[in-house]
Amino acid sequence: MAIGTRVLEGVSARPSRLARVRELWEREAVFGYGLIVPALALIVGLVAYPFGMAIYFSLSDYWVGSPGSFIGLQNFRDILGNEIFRQTVYNSFVFTGIAVVLKAVLGIWLAMLLFRPFRFKRLIRGAVLLPWVIPTALSVLAWKWMFDSLYSVVNWTAIHSGLINPPGPNWLGMADYAMTAVIAVNVWRGLPFFAIIVLAGLVSIPREYYEAAEVDGAGSWSRFRHVTLPLLKPVLAVVILFSTIFTFSDFNIVQVLTSGGPVNTTHLFATLAYQVGLTGGNLGQGASISLFLFPLLALIVFVQLRYIRKE
Amino acid sequence: MISRRRFLTTSTIAGASALALDRAPAFAQKRELTLLSFNHFVPASDDELRRQAEAFGKQAGVIVRVDTIAGPQLPAKRAAEVSSQSGHDIVVNTAADPFLFEQQLVDVGDVVDYLGGRYGGWYPFAKETCHTASGWKSVPWFWVAFLGSYNEVQFKKAGLQAPKTWDDLLKAGKVLKKQGNPIGIAVSQCTDANITFWTVLWCAGGKVLEADGKTSAINSDKTAAVIEWYKELYKDAMDPEVLSWDNASNNRFLLSGKGSWIHNPISPYVSAVEKKMPIADEINHHNSPGGPGGIHCATGVNSIGIWKFSKNAPLAKDFIKFLFQKENYHAFIQHGSGFNMPPVKAFAEHPIWAGHPKYAMIPKEAEYVHEQGWPAKPNAAVQLILVNYVLPNMVAKAIAGMPTKRALAWGEDQVKLALQGKLETKGK
Repeated sequence: MAIGTRVLEGVSARPSRLARVRELWEREAVFGYGLIVPALALIVGLVAYPFGMAIYFSLSDYWVGSPGSFIGLQNFRDILGNEIFRQTVYNSFVFTGIAVVLKAVLGIWLAMLLFRPFRFKRLIRGAVLLPWVIPTALSVLAWKWMFDSLYSVVNWTAIHSGLINPPGPNWLGMADYAMTAVIAVNVWRGLPFFAIIVLAGLVSIPREYYEAAEVDGAGSWSRFRHVTLPLLKPVLAVVILFSTIFTFSDFNIVQVLTSGGPVNTTHLFATLAYQVGLTGGNLGQGASISLFLFPLLALIVFVQLRYIRKE
Repeated sequence: MISRRRFLTTSTIAGASALALDRAPAFAQKRELTLLSFNHFVPASDDELRRQAEAFGKQAGVIVRVDTIAGPQLPAKRAAEVSSQSGHDIVVNTAADPFLFEQQLVDVGDVVDYLGGRYGGWYPFAKETCHTASGWKSVPWFWVAFLGSYNEVQFKKAGLQAPKTWDDLLKAGKVLKKQGNPIGIAVSQCTDANITFWTVLWCAGGKVLEADGKTSAINSDKTAAVIEWYKELYKDAMDPEVLSWDNASNNRFLLSGKGSWIHNPISPYVSAVEKKMPIADEINHHNSPGGPGGIHCATGVNSIGIWKFSKNAPLAKDFIKFLFQKENYHAFIQHGSGFNMPPVKAFAEHPIWAGHPKYAMIPKEAEYVHEQGWPAKPNAAVQLILVNYVLPNMVAKAIAGMPTKRALAWGEDQVKLALQGKLETKGK
């Protein structure tokens, strides 16, 4: 009550000012920017500021616990001179290349399967999302156990079904197997994201095109090749773009499964940056490792977004 | 005492001003002292720490909060607290932290002197791990003993004694592997792999860095011999799985009944006893082996530091002294199932070790241990060598077929890269 009266008093005392504020607020230009401000503040505070700090760190010899001075591009020269970093660049491209191709192919396939009418459609579509929904750290722990050197259920199953000879592959101890393992888990986790977005794309393709194609005598492959794929292109471009970025910047899977081992053969930019910057204390070099990919990713985003706009 | 008196004065003033203002100010609430640590591998140890914190809080009229987080997250948390100059008052440090945070931690020399004088003096590794160029930056709290943990029954079956040297171990391992019970030393990206490599290298008379902490000393015949030793051990005494191990894998290896020997703290035995596994009777321990360079063993020393940004430094020092009071430290050892090894000599005779035939030799380890990096102090370069797993990776490369000389050159290259940069304020 008291507040109400006070407000009323205020209004009666200075009616013109309040009215002016209200009028100003209702102007589209002001109102629009007013609505953007909270989001902008979040982006500046949580994205732009840390990003700026990361760039500053990467150009300084900043160690945990002792502030650094500007050293130009020395960190970048140092990491390029380090074999572990060069190995990480190689790993990242192999990991991302194979994982994104697998996710794209399997994702489209899975989406087409889910698109068909079948029993418990909703339930199964929901269930498909599970790998993507479970916290990665948890699910990767389960995978780690499945690839365990002593108790690997993968090896046990393969040995008992006569597929391989005991003791079976040392999944996390050999470079190629370890890379296979982290790619497999990444595909397992990223596939639902791909499939569901492609599925949304499929749903939006008008049925008439398929009917027209069928009338023209197109088989299932031709329909896929000449109707589905061209119309899915914009959706695919976006989802591949996102997936490429997510995959390049993957952290959890490698960290939990292999910590970058054996002998750094599964290190990605994020895991190496964490290792050097946070556990190693060399924040400057850590930042330069994680920023190394930025120009390249920016280029990919630029090209793909241009392509999408053209489409 | 001073701090408590100061607290009384400030709280009286606060109380008086609260009366004057006629509302409850935040200041009149109890002062809070906070400690950040890692989740202890024996949860009961953390429970006991919390109990002692509460007891101290009651005594000092403050609230003491103990926060524990997963060990691997601790470096990031410390970095964040230092960057924001806010967070806990007391922080638990490991390895090179007292040196990395030399400028950020309060000098605790007075506490170290007080405790050392009262409790029989500090073991030499205490100074090696916490005394920086600008004084004591952390109070050594407890360390973990890496022992030979072995399956006594399998050794007896093969007619073998517990190995006294690393060469004995190689000889024994060859026999044991043929018997179907290989031994296991991690050659992978995990901290246990680091610990064992330093240990074997020291016992062979080698070192990674000179005592100045700035000069690489890894390129020597001794390191080459150690790499050769590892290669032979891998081929004739171990299984390939050691290349994929994490810190828990060797425990499982020993407990599965397959493995006959690991270099590890007492954790496998403790968990076997807890879970009433029959294999507990077969497991025994012996002191970490030695070699031509003497007996040395790497360890991780956990120490307690106080951030300079803390407003409760005197109170924090009192709390640290409280944790070292005989009955408190004894309870801490007891609840830690014998893991928490004291850095002061007076507590080494705790009955948990002396009264247990499988533990009796453990306190002797204190004479052999050094923090990783030794004879250098654990500076920033040591930290990078450790977190990049340079040493086990060097061995893994040789095991995978790289000639020993090239693997050693790779290791030396990595050590030199770690030595680049800011070392001038650290590790003197």
